[in-house]
Amino acid sequence: MRADRVRLLAGMALALWLVLPLVPLAIWSVAHGWRFPDLLPVAWSFKAWSHAFSASSGVLHGLGQSMLIASVATALAILVGVPAGRALGLYRFRGKQLVLLLLVAPVLVPPIAIAPGLHGVFLQLGLTGGVPGVILAHLIPVIPYMTLVMAAVFGRFDTSHEAQARSLGARPWQVFAHVTLPAILPGLLTGALFAFLVSWSQYLLTLVIGGGRVQTLPLVLYGFATSGRNDLTGAIAILYILPGALVLALTARFLTGRAPGLAP
Amino acid sequence: MTDRTRIFLLLTPALLLLGGLFLAGLGLGLLRSFRYMPALGLTEPDLSAYAAVLASPGFLASLGLSLWIAGVSTVIAAGLAVLSAVLLRQTFPGRAVILFLFQLNLTVPHLVGAIGILYLFSQSGSFARLAFAAGLIGAPADFPVLTQDPWAIGIILQYVWKEVPFIGLILLANLQAISPGHEAAARSLGASRWQAFRHVLLPMLMPGLVAASALVFAFAFGAYEIPLILGAHAPEALPVLAYRSFTDVDLANRPEAYAMAMIIALIGAGLLAVYARLALPSRGRDAR
Amino acid sequence: MMLELRGLTKTYPGHDRRTVEGLSLTVPQGSLTALLGPSGAGKSTVMQMIAGLQAPDAGDIRLGGKSILDVPPERRGVVLVFQNAPLFPHLTLAQNVGFGLRMRGLSAPVVAAEVAAMLERVQLAGLGNRRPHELSGGQVQRGALARALVLKPDLLLLDEPLSNLDAGLRDEMRALIMTLQRETGVTTVVVTHDQAEAVVLADRIALLLDGRLAQVAAPREIFARPATLAVARFFGGVNFLAGRVTGGAFDCALGRLPLPRGVADRGVADRGVADRPGTLTIRPEAVRLGQGDGALSARVIGTTFLGTQTRVELSVSGQRLEALLAPEAASALIPGQLLDVTLPTEALWLIPEDQKHG
Repeated sequence: MRADRVRLLAGMALALWLVLPLVPLAIWSVAHGWRFPDLLPVAWSFKAWSHAFSASSGVLHGLGQSMLIASVATALAILVGVPAGRALGLYRFRGKQLVLLLLVAPVLVPPIAIAPGLHGVFLQLGLTGGVPGVILAHLIPVIPYMTLVMAAVFGRFDTSHEAQARSLGARPWQVFAHVTLPAILPGLLTGALFAFLVSWSQYLLTLVIGGGRVQTLPLVLYGFATSGRNDLTGAIAILYILPGALVLALTARFLTGRAPGLAP
Repeated sequence: MTDRTRIFLLLTPALLLLGGLFLAGLGLGLLRSFRYMPALGLTEPDLSAYAAVLASPGFLASLGLSLWIAGVSTVIAAGLAVLSAVLLRQTFPGRAVILFLFQLNLTVPHLVGAIGILYLFSQSGSFARLAFAAGLIGAPADFPVLTQDPWAIGIILQYVWKEVPFIGLILLANLQAISPGHEAAARSLGASRWQAFRHVLLPMLMPGLVAASALVFAFAFGAYEIPLILGAHAPEALPVLAYRSFTDVDLANRPEAYAMAMIIALIGAGLLAVYARLALPSRGRDAR
Repeated sequence: MMLELRGLTKTYPGHDRRTVEGLSLTVPQGSLTALLGPSGAGKSTVMQMIAGLQAPDAGDIRLGGKSILDVPPERRGVVLVFQNAPLFPHLTLAQNVGFGLRMRGLSAPVVAAEVAAMLERVQLAGLGNRRPHELSGGQVQRGALARALVLKPDLLLLDEPLSNLDAGLRDEMRALIMTLQRETGVTTVVVTHDQAEAVVLADRIALLLDGRLAQVAAPREIFARPATLAVARFFGGVNFLAGRVTGGAFDCALGRLPLPRGVADRGVADRGVADRPGTLTIRPEAVRLGQGDGALSARVIGTTFLGTQTRVELSVSGQRLEALLAPEAASALIPGQLLDVTLPTEALWLIPEDQKHG
């Protein structure tokens, strides 16, 4: 009985702590004047939200840029990560350790270590200051997540279903469309969600490669956060976490915490 | 088609793209850190940039601060994650809510967490207001400095907030994979609940815990925007210092920025070695 | 259609798996042949090569007289039913059974009609909309069989079709396979590691040991006349007597035993000598108790009740022999008891010396 109470209290404290930092952001987004030492705003208003949705704030543009970059980066990561994940999940081969090491390296070596050199390379190739260069740079942290998730997915995949389909008269592309894809789809979606979020959260690579000319949502958010517009900052912050939260709520059944490629 | 050809074809696009980008960035950074920049007439590589960086007190202070941030954040987050994983392993009312909040937290960008922590813990933040309402302080300046502070408390709080769910979910997944039989066997051999956890479960969780901690350490050590929001002006976290010297108008300082980048990469490589030993399947153990 | 394997060879570089070596085998049209062997003998590899899912290193596979080596699996007219991939989990039973027809691009009504007829035939009518996890183990197995037969293949390959079933289902499934095979007349090869299963199911058994073909024969034949010691042991042979063949009889520890005609001549043609070493074998169930022509004096060492039979261990002139008897015939036996045993001449079989190691 006492252990149950302790457990419940610990659980409630944990839940409170998990939502706490988001509370002032949400309140600020609808606050109209919230000075020290007021515990709650003196008045409420949707001004911050309407400003966020006006063209002049640049928030919608930032949202669009972030969506575009994260979507394309995720699509590219799926394109190269699914085959690579298949090789890693299904086969053992010489050099596998090395391949895994290369995949984990961008996760453990911080972007700030690579960004300056990459900027130099992209400068030569004319890829700085634009969306394509930023997308390519985002692939550095995105591809490993996608590939490692797919490697785990294929590690649990039974290839005899594919062979069975072949023997029942399916051509290779039919096998992929009718047997392989349905089997890996939940894992693929999980991987894609995390790949998207890795790009979505990326700050430094966008800053260095975009050179300030590519204004994704986090860059816009940082700009307002340091200019004292707490209400607008709150609104953008909520807007910024919304897509991930929505996708999570919709796909919660796919995410069992077993996904191995979570981003720290 | 032989298996070898197939493996090669499957891996090539990802490895070319990733290896090309990653190694190109690292390679050019390395060359420039040796002051090798033919375009500027520098064709004699030397180590002077490293010497300058290592001799500057600002760099050493920033390195120390970043190691402190990463170390403390990782230890606290790992400890709390073990506790919450053990808690979440049992059934109790509200467990599903916490699991959902854990997953939700994973989707929240660090920058948002950093601003949230700032609004909570700054001297005019929510907790300062609560303290004022409770009559504990008379003005914002009376509230302890918890953000943009020399001990990086705000930064550490942010990482703890983000990484407890991250490590916790990995541990929970590992716990699900461990047969309950081991714990039961330990109990029937006379171990107390705590002993069964300490001597049976924890050792089994250790590789996963250390691997996840290495990821957290690497992130906390190398992140840029979180110390930018929550950090003090001096000393700055190493990534902030490195970026500032990279964007320094004085181009003569550039090699030092590259040297810092390489030192950060070296620390990342060290973490990679730790991670590889613990988390990557060794040749013999690999099932396929 | 008739299947011919010619010198089929497969090696896995870098794997410690057994390889298939120079396998030649003819499976007559319409037959039900069992490819029998212990696990790891290369049986599944052979099946995958016939189905076109793996390429042999050497040799030829001919179906109906034509080589099918260069034909992709989906056009071979060969369907392999895998042991561990019974039904696609994301499709209903009907979608599973119609899978191959849909892959061929047949129209939905045609597929639906064929599927319905096939489901009827395997007693799964009305279950078409169920998912595999809503079906029993036996229903899943029947579904997998239906999914293959609906394609009317020239050759049907079944990989361990009974191994994951419990005893009752096993009999039911075995009967279904035999019935459907007889009705459709489809040339069928069944892979199994269970000799009892092969004996009941197949009209011909091809025994694969260590990647090589040890013997091909009808079940009765392979039981009574094993080509080598290894074959005899695989089929539960336990009584082996070393000795020499001279003048139509066998000299061994038990004395001089007369050999049936034909058996005494085994190996003479290729050896060209009348006096040669060999191993005499007799099935334990052929050993008789009691007086008779050439009865031998034996001592009972022990008995083991096996349910439908009792195994009696005997010592005859210092030589260990086993007999399988009806339980009532053996119920009175006690260890140490002396009695007479007869080894009927027609049950004796000779394995020449040079084939001992098969």
